[in-house]
Order: sequence, then C-alpha cells, then structure tokens
Amino acid sequence: MKSLFGIIATFDTPDAVRDAARQLRQSGFRAFEAYTPYPVEGLAEIIHPGPKRFLPLLMFGAAIVGAAWGYWIQYWGEAFNYPLNVGGRPFNSWPAFVVGTFEFMLLVAVAAGFVGMLAASRLPKLYHPIFEADAFERASRDRFVICVESTDPRFDADLIRREFALLGAERIEEVRA
Amino acid sequence: MSITLPSGLSPDAPVIAPHVTLTSVSEEVSSRVLIDRAPLWWWVGFGISFALLIVLVVQMAWLFINGIGVWGVDIPVAWGFAIAEYVWWIALASGGTIVSALFFLTRSPWRSATNRIAESMLLSAAPCAGLMPIMHLGRPGLFYWLFPYSNVMGVWPQPRSPLWWDFICLICYIIMSVFYYYTGILPDLATVRDLAQTKRKRILYGILALGWRGSAAEWQNQRVVYAIMSAIMAPMVVSVHSVVGLDFAAGLTPGWHDTQFSPYFYFGAIVSGTAVIVMLTILVRWGYNLQDVLTEYHFNAMAKLILVGSLMLMYAYVWESFGPMYGSGVAEKTEYYQRIFGFTSPAFWAEKVLTVVIPQLLWFPFVRRNQLLLLLICSGIIVGMWQERYVFVISSLAHNYMPSSWGVFYPTFWDWAALAGTIGLFLTLFFLFLRFAPIVSIAEVREIIEQEKSK
Repeated sequence: MKSLFGIIATFDTPDAVRDAARQLRQSGFRAFEAYTPYPVEGLAEIIHPGPKRFLPLLMFGAAIVGAAWGYWIQYWGEAFNYPLNVGGRPFNSWPAFVVGTFEFMLLVAVAAGFVGMLAASRLPKLYHPIFEADAFERASRDRFVICVESTDPRFDADLIRREFALLGAERIEEVRA
Repeated sequence: MSITLPSGLSPDAPVIAPHVTLTSVSEEVSSRVLIDRAPLWWWVGFGISFALLIVLVVQMAWLFINGIGVWGVDIPVAWGFAIAEYVWWIALASGGTIVSALFFLTRSPWRSATNRIAESMLLSAAPCAGLMPIMHLGRPGLFYWLFPYSNVMGVWPQPRSPLWWDFICLICYIIMSVFYYYTGILPDLATVRDLAQTKRKRILYGILALGWRGSAAEWQNQRVVYAIMSAIMAPMVVSVHSVVGLDFAAGLTPGWHDTQFSPYFYFGAIVSGTAVIVMLTILVRWGYNLQDVLTEYHFNAMAKLILVGSLMLMYAYVWESFGPMYGSGVAEKTEYYQRIFGFTSPAFWAEKVLTVVIPQLLWFPFVRRNQLLLLLICSGIIVGMWQERYVFVISSLAHNYMPSSWGVFYPTFWDWAALAGTIGLFLTLFFLFLRFAPIVSIAEVREIIEQEKSK
C-alpha cells in the first residue's frame, strides 16, 4: 500500500478555493497547497504569507553583475588585452561601451529571472506525488484544487474531509503515492 | 488633449465570446496541438513555406560558393537587399515584442489572446533578421568572430562600432525572447500534457512542461518574473531597433547621418509588426476556428495600434523631408531630391501611400472590424515597409557626396531568392509553432473569462 500524501479537494470557483484556503489557514494548517488553472488573486498571499522579495532582488543583482560583466569584456579587450588606437580615441571609450553593457545587463537579468523562477518553484521536477490524484488533472484546465499534505502536524484525514465538505468541495479524495 | 475613437463596439463588448468557458478554451486550444493529423490547410501552408525554405538553402549555397557578387550589390551601392531586409525583419520581430511586453504592462485585455501569436511571430522573424547580415559577410563562416569569446588570436571584436552593437543587441534579443516565450508558455504546456491521450505526447509535453503543477507558489513566482521580464523586454526592444538605426545614423552618408533614425525605425516596427500580427491572427482564427477567442475586440484594438503607429510614422516622414530642407548640406538636399524623383521614386511614393495614407482608413470603425480590409491594409503596410527600408538603404548609397561616383542598383535573381527564401524560413517556423505549441495563451485567456464573468 502506498503511503498517504494528502487529502485533495476540488472546487469550481476561484472564490470557493480562496475561502477554503483562508479557512484551512485559520484552522491551523500549514502544509497545504492550491493548484489553479490561472493565478487566483490573493490566494498565494493566504497560503504563502510574508514578503516575497527573492526573485526581484535576484534579477536586480543579476542586472548589476551583467552590467559589470558586459563592461569588463569590452574594457578588457579594448583597453587592457589588445589596446588598439582608433583615430586617437581613448582606449577606454566608455560612451561606446554603453550599448554592450546595457544589453548584457538585461540578458543576465532575464536569464537569472528564468532560472530563479524555476529554482524557486523547485522545477524542473517531472514527478510529483500530486500527479497521482485523478482530481488533479483538471487543475490545469477548469478546477481549483487544494491539497492538505500528510506532513502537516495537525493532519487528520477525517477532520479534513469534514472541513472540505463543509466548504462545499465538489470532490474529495486521498492522494497515495 | 485626448481623442476617443468611436469603436462601434459597445463599451462593455466582450473580449471573449460569452459562451467560452475555462473548460472549452483549454480543450479547444490544446486540441489543435494534440490532433493526430494536421488539417489540410496546414499541410498546404507548410508545403509552400517549406518549398520557399528550399529556395533559401539553394540561394545560400550559391551565394557561399560564388560570393556576394551574385547579388546586385556593387560600388557605390554596397548594401543591398540583405541589409534592407535585415532592418525589415527585425522591425517585424520588434513589433511582436511591443505587442507582447508593452501591453502586458498596461494590462490590456486584448493582449491575452494575441500575445502568443506575437511571440511566435517574433521568434520566427528574428532568425530571418539574423541570417541577413551573416549572408552579407564576405566570409560568413567567420561570423562567430563577433562573439567576445576568449581566443588564442588575441583579437577582440571592436565595441566602438555600431555594427558590433547591432550584433550584440540581436543575439541578446533572441536569447531573451526565448526565455520570455518559455516563461509564458509553461502553464499552457502543462495543460496540453494533462490533456494528451497518447504516451508519446504525454512524455513530450511532460518534459516540455518541466513538471509545472500550477500551485499558488509557482504562479506567484511566474507572475513576478514575467512582469519584470516584460518591463525589461519593452525597453530592450526599443534599444534593439534604435541600435539598428544607429548603424545608419553613425555613417556619414547623406540621408543616413540623421539623429531621427532610432525613433523612425521604432515607429516603423510598431506599424509593420502589428500588421503582420493582425494577418497571422486572421490566419489562426480562420484556420483553427478560434472565432470565439479571437474576436472583433482584438482586431479593433490592434487596428487602432496600427493607426497610432502610422501617425507616428507620418511624423517621421515629415521630418525625413524637413531635415534636409532645413539643414545647409547640399549633399543631403540632393540625395533627398534623388530619393523622391530618382530611380527609387516609384518605391518611395508607393511606400508613403501604403504605410501612412491607406492606413488612415482605420479611422472608420467598420474598417477596423472587417477582416478582408484589414488583411489588405496590413499586407500593404508590410510591402510598403519593405520598400521604405529598400529606398533609404539604396538611395543614400547611390547618391553620395561625389556625383561622379553615383550609381544605380539592379537586384538580381538571387536577391529576390534571398527575400523569398527568408519568407519561407519565417513561415516554416511559424507553421511549426502553430502545430506544436498552443497558439493562444490559455492561462491568460482563462483570467479574461473570469474578469468578463464578474463584469
């Protein structure tokens, strides 16, 4: 017998899933996650409260690194490694280096954002226990799914089932993986 | 002062047809990708595109064997079709980013169903743009010398040159566009994965979706990054096309040496990019039966964008003539006179009519909603834009400071083959996007559906 991963419930409106998440949080649950077909406003703040500054700061830091890198490549080549006198212009012709610096800055920021987004979401991860649930499949289409995971200290299958039923869940099932 | 264009649509006109639901949009759009046999029109379109792609391959082979003498380029007109078409392609691509990134920042509802078409278009057009200057090199095999990679030759690319800026802009632009596209398409690939019936498709889209689950945390991360990426892409594309303008502005040739080139190019990008998106949207809407998702609302909005772009372009055209007239350079004046009355005059006048005069029809609401008229106007704009790029590249070089070294440009068969061939490359890539990736951003359309419900 596979071990219990959690209890999953589907709802058919974004409001219902938001109410459910709020209710679960108030009842003291922490290890639960919602899966929705599009970002439901306010849902992430209920489930994962607190400031989320990691990705913006990462992209900002990457932009600085990218700018420094871009300028350094040009400075290294033109003024340091192979100085070339072009019509008496300074070796470190910084105004001409601005374009390259700018583009490298944006490139590194965007690349860091992409990699950071995947890393922060623990992706790529081709298998996840939630994929075992039949009800989950429609979370990428038209249903709003909440799963309370068995790692939660207050986890109690019967209690959660009752709570989901009270919240008007369309379908409730166990996820075993 | 603000002008409100009467749209002919009621103020609460639906962006998406009211009977579209979360279920239907997900299944409809995904089924176009998951279908076992592509429809006949797809095979016909793809076949024609692929035939043109073969033209490109043959053209490149002939070019690389014989050198660029097979084209009509010569002295004084050393930059011919290839450079004009480079600018033309990169303008089309830039238009895609403008529609996608800029209007994400403004939260325009019409962008949600069209942004994927715009991005697929830009990812198909950018390689065509990149190919043009490479084909134009005397030794195309050495183009990688432009990369600032560590090499044993001890030679670095020259970052004081706008041509190097151009290369860096283009390469960064393509890589960033791929990241931007993939960040946006990730949730849709998960939808396709969950709807796939056969094992092969499940594995393929399962890998492509990277295990996306649509959890609240994932959505939060995706939206934060996507918003910042949009805020980066919007100015990025201005810089890309401005730098293309600087290639010309930094040259001392009369007709090029002008500070207006960057905005002038950018205005052209808005008009021609949106025009090609409108044409492709009509194709997708008709071919994939997505009339409910791509509605009159979208055409109305994009037509207004074309109209605004063509007014801005008109301003640039006025400046194009005002600059030489107001300045004291005899060469500038002479070049402009030759441009409008010399051998480029038919293309010059046709371009003005096609890109700024005829689009004025878009002031009328019924024109903005008539797809046949839109198709005609947009193809006119794209042809006109090509002529514009052609005229200023050729005419300026043909009428330099020394009248004794003036010349004329005659395109050869291989010039036209390069044009036809890159169109083939563009269409082949676009048809592949149509076949293998959701062509409408399903996740964003779902949001629009919910917004419409609560209206």
